[in-house]
Amino acid sequence: MQKNDPLQQLLAEFFDLPPDTDPSEITQDRLPSWDSLAMVQLIAELQRTFSVDFDLEEIQYLRSYSEIRAALSRKAVSLPDNPLLPS
Amino acid sequence: MSVIDHWIQNFPAAQKEAIATALHSASLGKIRRAARSLGEMDPKLRGRALKVEILCTYNIEPILPVLSFALSCLPAQPDLQLGPLDNIEAHIAQSAGRPEKLPDARVIIWRVEEILPESLFPFSHGFPEAIVGRLEQTIQRVERVVSLHQRHMPEVPLFVSTIPTPLHFSSPVFSAQHSGGLSAAVGRINQKIFEVATRGDGVYAFDVAGWAAAQGSSQADPMLDFLARQPFSARGQVAFGLFLARNLRPLIVPRRKVLAIDLDETLWGGVVGEDGIENLRLGHDFPGNVHLRIQREVLELRNRGILLVLLSKNNEADARQAFESLPDMLLKWDDFAVRKVDWNHKHNNLVAAAAELGLGLDSFVVIDDSDYEREQIRQLTPEVLILNRSSDPLQILRALWETDVFDALMLTIEDRQRHQDYAVRAARDFQGDHDDLAEFLKSLEIEATIEEIGSSNVERVVTMLGKTNQFNLTTRRHSRTQVQAMLQTPGAIALALRLRDRFGDQGIVAALLALPSDGATLTIDSFLVSCRALGRGVEDALWAAMIDRAKHQNVQRLEADYIATAKNGIVSELYQRLGLSCVAEEGISKRYALEPMPTFDPPPWIFINATT
Repeated sequence: MQKNDPLQQLLAEFFDLPPDTDPSEITQDRLPSWDSLAMVQLIAELQRTFSVDFDLEEIQYLRSYSEIRAALSRKAVSLPDNPLLPS
Repeated sequence: MSVIDHWIQNFPAAQKEAIATALHSASLGKIRRAARSLGEMDPKLRGRALKVEILCTYNIEPILPVLSFALSCLPAQPDLQLGPLDNIEAHIAQSAGRPEKLPDARVIIWRVEEILPESLFPFSHGFPEAIVGRLEQTIQRVERVVSLHQRHMPEVPLFVSTIPTPLHFSSPVFSAQHSGGLSAAVGRINQKIFEVATRGDGVYAFDVAGWAAAQGSSQADPMLDFLARQPFSARGQVAFGLFLARNLRPLIVPRRKVLAIDLDETLWGGVVGEDGIENLRLGHDFPGNVHLRIQREVLELRNRGILLVLLSKNNEADARQAFESLPDMLLKWDDFAVRKVDWNHKHNNLVAAAAELGLGLDSFVVIDDSDYEREQIRQLTPEVLILNRSSDPLQILRALWETDVFDALMLTIEDRQRHQDYAVRAARDFQGDHDDLAEFLKSLEIEATIEEIGSSNVERVVTMLGKTNQFNLTTRRHSRTQVQAMLQTPGAIALALRLRDRFGDQGIVAALLALPSDGATLTIDSFLVSCRALGRGVEDALWAAMIDRAKHQNVQRLEADYIATAKNGIVSELYQRLGLSCVAEEGISKRYALEPMPTFDPPPWIFINATT
């Protein structure tokens, strides 16, 4: 388990998940608490943490760890490799 | 450290830590974590229930957990009820049926984007006549909403938010040129809200406009506003929550009534007893202007009804003379309801002042530049709230600007005249609790190093001889040459004391010079302690070191003089306390003697380093 993946840590803390939750498990489909209100707060949190402003078209593709990761990488936010991610 | 530390002072350490982390980072994840940890706390520590109804013209629902967290820090157990979006009048009218339990407060939050959107696009809406007409209607709407509330729930306090100037609109320069422009429209709506609050009647202005102006654009997120009609960034939500909590706090927590304030390095720059009145810094030039501004703020508090206590270690005559003769002195001696200007421990003086005013220590707030004094007060009178965290005058001023401890929603005539009711009463002697004091001194981890006076430290000792006025038994201003000559006298004992404590290395703070009169008699020429180090017992540590050396030199008899000055009353009884007897008195001078040489132990709370 990659210990210092700030995105995985942020999502685990935000949704009150065990700290070692597999990132591929972190999706809107699987988490009932990830509702539309939480989505608004999550976007605010991501923008604060990574100092980015998402583009409008990106907003609808922030539905899972991997989608958020992809959006952040387009914003040149570099995150460490996470071995649990499917390659 | 944050400005709300005193809200949560009774919380367990884990919760304090979680809250501090959350507020510092403004991370919504950490806010959620802190909120969860509050849920695990003993409900008795969580404060009273606080039911708040919020009526908002935009979508505040996503940030309710953040608002709820902020209110929990008051402390309180909040129950937030959100009315339907942008439907204020209908909701108030429907509440006529009366909920089972009335809210403790109702809060209306609105902004120009919903209540007067035309003013953002004035030329598309008949600028100027039609726009001015719409503005008048909006101003009447404020009045209508308030009277609707007062008809249906008159006993519930109503907080009406002011309207921030939108961060984003075109032509801000042109808009300012017409009384029908956006800037003027916002100002006029807010003016109406302030007028309603002025009437009292349980209606208060919740000044979101002032808050937003102070926060700037970092509080806002235009994308989230478009996405969800929720205008706040993460940082903005946290700050907004705390601001809401601060506004509601006076409903459930009484304000502090007394400000006890130090004199030297606070109300003026410098130390009156050491530097002399002519060298104090107070006035219109830097840095005296910072101290003058502190005085203005303190005087304003007094005129608002906060009682002032003067809390200073000084000779009262010195302090009083400075009050009377400093040209820029703004505060007057009589502005203070109680004056404790003496050499007693400050925590004892606070207890005495509370008794004289008939108030609890939990009504007291203290400002003091000294780390030592603040720590002593914190440990020995923990109910007292300490406002400043640093000795820097500008930090003291900032603490006065930022604090909420004197917040009130309304002031009565009685509040404003309170200081007149507290006639100055005679000071009382208060016996401090010596066990507590020794415990406190122990916690400071005081370390004294006794040094022979020599080339490495003689410069500092000569400086001290030249300027120490208060703890100085003979006030002999020896030159460097004179001191050098004494050091070369066979049998002379010349010692300096270097002090370290939890607050850091304080340098050399005490010195003693003693010369042999004949083989068996030693006479103390000079004995002094810097005013920065009073109250810790360093004089006893230095005295013990001197006695020890004198006995090794087979000294049989000690002689010492006390020469009274206008400044050194603090040591008039010192030699008696150290066991010497007065053998002669001549004018302002007293001669003391001690024979045979006793043993003398340094105070148990001072660790004495091996002599260098």
